Amino acid sequence: MSTTVIAESSNGSLHPITSQLVGAASALGGSITVICPGGIGSTDAAQISGVSKVISVEGDCFHTYDCMAWSESLSPLVEGDLILSSSSAMSREILSSIAAKKGVPVVQDVTNLAEGFSATRPIYSGKAIEEVRVPSPCAISLRPNSFEPAGGGGDAEIVTVNVSQDITVAVKQALAKAGERLDVSEADIIISGGRGMGGPSNFSHLYEVADVLGAAVGASRAAVDTWDEIPHSMQVGQTGKTVTPNLYIAVGISGAIQHLAGMRSSKYILAINKDPEAPIFGVADYGIVATWEEALPVLKGQLLEMLSS
Amino acid sequence: MGVAVLLKQVPDTTAKISVTDGRVDESSITKWSISPYDEYALENAIRLKELGYGDVVAITCGPARSSKCLVEAAAVGADKLIHVVTDSSSLDSIQIQALLSAAVKESSCDVVMCGKQAADTNSGSTGPGVASALGYSCVGAVTEVSIEGGVISATRLGPSGLEEVEVGVPCVFTFDKGDAELRRPNVRGIMMAKKKPIDSLTSDDLGVDTSNSAVSVESHSSPPEKPPGKKFVGIESVPEVVNMLRNDANVI
Amino acid sequence: MAYEALDFYDIDSLLTEEERMVRDMVRDWVEERVLPNIEGACRDGIFPDEWRVEIGEMGILGAPLKGYGCPGLSYIAYGLICQELERGDSGVRSFASVQGSLAMYPIWDFGSEEQKEKYLPGMAKGELVGCFGLTEPDYGSNPGDMITRAEDRGDHFLLNGTKMWITNGTIADIAVVWAKLGGVIRGFIVEKGDEGFSAPEMKGKHSLKASVTSELVFQDCKIPKDRLMPGVKGLKGPFSCLNNARYGISWGAVGAAQSCFNSAREYSLSRIQFGHPIASFQLVQNKLSWMLREITKGQLLAYHMGKKKDDGSWIPEQISLAKMNNVDMALEIARMSRDIHGANGILDEYPVMRHMANLESVKTYEGTHDIHNLILGRHITGIQSFTREP
Repeated sequence: MSTTVIAESSNGSLHPITSQLVGAASALGGSITVICPGGIGSTDAAQISGVSKVISVEGDCFHTYDCMAWSESLSPLVEGDLILSSSSAMSREILSSIAAKKGVPVVQDVTNLAEGFSATRPIYSGKAIEEVRVPSPCAISLRPNSFEPAGGGGDAEIVTVNVSQDITVAVKQALAKAGERLDVSEADIIISGGRGMGGPSNFSHLYEVADVLGAAVGASRAAVDTWDEIPHSMQVGQTGKTVTPNLYIAVGISGAIQHLAGMRSSKYILAINKDPEAPIFGVADYGIVATWEEALPVLKGQLLEMLSS
Repeated sequence: MGVAVLLKQVPDTTAKISVTDGRVDESSITKWSISPYDEYALENAIRLKELGYGDVVAITCGPARSSKCLVEAAAVGADKLIHVVTDSSSLDSIQIQALLSAAVKESSCDVVMCGKQAADTNSGSTGPGVASALGYSCVGAVTEVSIEGGVISATRLGPSGLEEVEVGVPCVFTFDKGDAELRRPNVRGIMMAKKKPIDSLTSDDLGVDTSNSAVSVESHSSPPEKPPGKKFVGIESVPEVVNMLRNDANVI
Repeated sequence: MAYEALDFYDIDSLLTEEERMVRDMVRDWVEERVLPNIEGACRDGIFPDEWRVEIGEMGILGAPLKGYGCPGLSYIAYGLICQELERGDSGVRSFASVQGSLAMYPIWDFGSEEQKEKYLPGMAKGELVGCFGLTEPDYGSNPGDMITRAEDRGDHFLLNGTKMWITNGTIADIAVVWAKLGGVIRGFIVEKGDEGFSAPEMKGKHSLKASVTSELVFQDCKIPKDRLMPGVKGLKGPFSCLNNARYGISWGAVGAAQSCFNSAREYSLSRIQFGHPIASFQLVQNKLSWMLREITKGQLLAYHMGKKKDDGSWIPEQISLAKMNNVDMALEIARMSRDIHGANGILDEYPVMRHMANLESVKTYEGTHDIHNLILGRHITGIQSFTREP
């Protein structure tokens, strides 16, 4: 049994999910080779416990992201029974391209992996779970935070390979991200305020948390009707938008039936309200009985801490 | 010249999914639609055609019911329709990519567009896989394309943020949701679509062996029930809740 | 929550692919464009002009008419269009009914070749809006005694009189007006801007608030001779228009009822009283079951009526039955749905009170409920009871 792990990087260094990939590979046993595209993070990768070898793949082609050039460069170095990567957008592309070049099947976004291989993945946006059997060799991408990370203390050999590959995709210019706020109808995370926020200017505290999470800010009808500054486009509920984000954070929203109609299908709901009897707690997965004034600064601090680690 | 757009028919994103005897019960799904990201691919394919880049060839791979998405594509402007008739749910990624690549060759299109992932499996393997099989370039997570002097420029969400890239043909583009407003069909389009012939091809026609899928579905199951809600009093609980959001709910 | 139209007897399986696609197109449009904006339109008392443009772009106006740029769809497709529009709001369906069945249809059937060429293509695109002037302030159920007169003045006609309760009147570019010429009812086309013609809007409605309702006033209104529609004389003209419109209403009412049923079902499942969803209580289930039963019957009635329209085997009395029954059931369902919603039912958060108020108009226009009873009474007994013979 041998596994090749394609390392994940972000902002020029190794992404912590790489340890989770190694952890998943270790659980299956055998040798583990980590490939670092562009050589990014190879020193850190060598220190992950269980890694047998690190291949630092270097070349000009890694200065621009061109999925085909990258997979063409990496493919010859990928060997073994199993190819693992993260299920980030970029890694999925590279993995499926490598799999196609090598003629092996690919299964994406796996949350559990056992010998054989038996892989579990959510399908239909998590409305069902699929278990598939895939023979080796194959390529599998793993969902972040679903596998125990391998520890540190390793000391693997680092082999540097220089590659050269033509780039067919040319980056002309970086575009400024649209300054507009995310709309509630397309956000994965929404933080909404109700009349309990006390006044429209206090929504700035919601925006602060939203910025940390990349979330959209929504509002209850009570807030929209009470304050002109809160536009109807932010309204979640019966006459507003019906939303189904992964996480809905309701702050100072009591949970009138009309509001619940617009957000109760969210995957997870966190409610923050000072009234322990508020109906919103009836639909919340996590409830915190506290005023927003107390809770939001602490929440923001904790999120910053967690996301930076 | 020409744009092939790969469309996958999926249960409408609002459809209820139920599991019977270890399999998702497809017969209980009342509404099937073109996968949402594929709709952006279709819209951009039609825009490229309007800029003079040949015909739009809509291609789908799936059982008989999937021909509906070809008719829907024709109603908004697809010129040619190819249906690779197969029980796609039992095929592995190599087989599906081989079928689609063969159909693209059949269409002789040098630009291929599809969604960045399909709403049923959310895999995102098809675009880059087809590009590899055909030896085309590939640009992913695109929100907009335009063409000038034979060079296509695309806006994509790259590793370092939103950027404009240029790429020559042949190329595969996979689409994210963009600002482009999807065109609505109209009665005239629907009536013309009905008359448009669908080129039905089997795996034998395309010379692809679909007999042995490497990936076999062992079982489907409903997601585990969420535990009952937990309520905490006071802000001391915030670190614990944040921790649960990450490690139990996996949402941040 | 996503809209799932009640279809207990699987009417869907009886439709052609084309009919389903047209239905889905209109359903999606209503979902995206009407539902998020309808309460605002009602509050402002306007029919948003972009709806006219978009309905025109969809190409659904004058649905069953063929030629002259008209869609040429089946009557079933026309019914489905009405159903989906009225699921949004009766006012939106009224716009399309009046344009298609009451303004385009008479020109298509009774107009001269020149009139058809001049008006129909623009009307099919929604670029020209039409209205229909039959009812007068003093003559509603009894249009035969209308007062509006046309006089032949050699090189032109002179119109005098007033029409009332005219949907689209103020926003219309043309009006199909029924008036007596030498004692015989004839159809005339009056254009906006014709001398002596005005169309003031009627305000203060508690119903069909997102629909324009107007008076048409003719004071020595001068129109060219070529505006007389040559193809029909007598009440047969306006009545044949009404047959088509009433047929559309029988489907539209199903749409309004489906909307009210859906809202009641969802609400009753999420509203907790005495520790349980009210949907678990027998009295509520009894109401929901009644709604399902009546809607299903209404759907089958409308569908079969459509098939008869498509093969030409219908009689007007059958349309009377379909219009009367389906509007009556929809109004009853709206009231019952309001009841299930409790106090929340009077809020504009839910569509039910709006549908209920709209349906009061729908019950009255295009032949009141009671007039349809008399039409059926005459059919059953052979004795007309509209008027007492001297």
